[in-house]
Amino acid sequence: MDAVVVEDLQKAYGSTRAVAGVSFTVGFGEIFSLLGPNGAGKTTTMEILEGYRRQDAGNVVVAGFNPGDRRTGRQLREQIGIVLQDLAVEPNLTVREMVSRNSGYYPNPRPVGEVIELVGLAGKEKAQVKSLSGGQKRRLDLALGIIGNPRVLFLDEPTTGFDPSARRGAWEVIRELRDLGTAIMLTTHYMDEAQELADRVAVISGGKIVEEGIPATLGGRDRARARIRFLLPDGYSAADLPVPATAGEDGRLVVEADDPTELLYRLTGWAVEHHTALPSLTVDRPSLEDIYLGLTTVQTEAASGVAPGARRGATP
Amino acid sequence: MTAGVSSHTESAAASPRRNAAALVWHQIRYEQLSFWRNPQSAFFLFAFPLVFFAILAGVFGNTVLFRYDGRTVTGLQYYSSTIAAVSVMGACYSQLAITVSLRRQEGILKRLRGTPLPAWVMFAGLVAHCIIISFIDVALILIMGVLYGVPFPAHWDAIIVTLVVGAAAFCALGVAVANLVRNAEAAPAVVQFIFFPLVFISGTYFVITSKALNDLAGIFPVRPFNQALLNPFAFDRGFAGHQLLVLAIWGVVGGFVAVRRFRWDPRPE
Repeated sequence: MDAVVVEDLQKAYGSTRAVAGVSFTVGFGEIFSLLGPNGAGKTTTMEILEGYRRQDAGNVVVAGFNPGDRRTGRQLREQIGIVLQDLAVEPNLTVREMVSRNSGYYPNPRPVGEVIELVGLAGKEKAQVKSLSGGQKRRLDLALGIIGNPRVLFLDEPTTGFDPSARRGAWEVIRELRDLGTAIMLTTHYMDEAQELADRVAVISGGKIVEEGIPATLGGRDRARARIRFLLPDGYSAADLPVPATAGEDGRLVVEADDPTELLYRLTGWAVEHHTALPSLTVDRPSLEDIYLGLTTVQTEAASGVAPGARRGATP
Repeated sequence: MTAGVSSHTESAAASPRRNAAALVWHQIRYEQLSFWRNPQSAFFLFAFPLVFFAILAGVFGNTVLFRYDGRTVTGLQYYSSTIAAVSVMGACYSQLAITVSLRRQEGILKRLRGTPLPAWVMFAGLVAHCIIISFIDVALILIMGVLYGVPFPAHWDAIIVTLVVGAAAFCALGVAVANLVRNAEAAPAVVQFIFFPLVFISGTYFVITSKALNDLAGIFPVRPFNQALLNPFAFDRGFAGHQLLVLAIWGVVGGFVAVRRFRWDPRPE
């Protein structure tokens, strides 16, 4: 059984089609990341799965339940954990009280102390929530999301506002939960986060999934041409170079190639011969962010017409 | 898909849910904890009526405020009823209207909706918490009254029933008003805007002799609540049937708005 099944999901607010035919599945023990710009339909999709909103059309199954069915709402919520974008914790309770309170809502919670430790709040048990820093509150939020031992965990931009080491810590927790068999749905603005965590990603734009795959190969990243970039050494012009180069956005020159080995050899050989250097020399392939920006920019430009990347049905 | 999944399902099936009463108690405990940790709100809801009663009882203690039905009603008797009523209204109506609108705006309600806690348990916990605060407040006012020398009331059944009906009605009205508040920062102002004029025309702080004003105030819930408490406190009488009915009707109307217009989400769809 899949943890989450979404088939042709649709939701409109007035005349705005927030979600226009989205389908995907998430398995247990898998981290699935939904990427997309603000207003692309990420949060609406998540909120339908979490049972906060009802879809206009399409089927949704979460941990075997229909989230829109009020009769099974409590059973569903015993199986899921939710970390929303907004911080929402009682200011006057302590960390331990807050986690203990919520643990009482679940039939099979994780041990309170273990969860506090897992999110890195050990030593803060007796601190009142209002005295915590933004990042610590966010970690408390994560603790509340996982205290019920969920089979499906929804994380809506979980590490926004974290410092780099807290982020690493949270990633560690999320991976551990995945390895324990939890299905995790993650939305994020950080491409490095998706790259680090996600087993699969889907890029959503204009209410549709425009690309889906594993982070390493999304949008043909692995097959994309390599880019050699460097600054022109003083006293030379682009015409002096042994290879054709174009001007890049950051002021550096760019040489593209399927296999950069030979070009790089010619370039560095030329530099050594002329007793000069190639400042700021880098060789890379498009990052997940480059692919993401490419996909979502096309979508935004095409927003008025039919989205070119849309492969799934459901046009009005 | 992986080995971890089976352990999840097995253990989930193994532990039953807590029973409803235990869950309500759990909820009340944390409401109490949260309340007493916030000295400011605790002071205004809790100590404010006591301070008021101490002052009014001190100033008007044995002064005869008015005669009714051949009886004299002293300041002590009068204010122990009306201040008890106002403390219940503060603990139920004002507290709920402000707490619920604030929790909604801050996303705490939405967050709670994402847990398995049943909605009715959340409400039961909140209402029970408010009733506990009201009862402690009323008990302290009574004790102060006795210390000042007010005669101990005889009709306890009428006092308890009136307090329960009043507390329930004002809880319902509090949640109803919370549903009408769009911006939680404005909640205290909205709450007072409705509350203060009613309290004044209902004779809470001074006796109103205008019949027209009394008739008008009698339509709203504050004066009937005062009157229903004056019965046992000042007139040595039992249940005030008519006043309790008016209170109950307001409670039902408030309850209807509270439930039908309730939103978990800070942003309406």
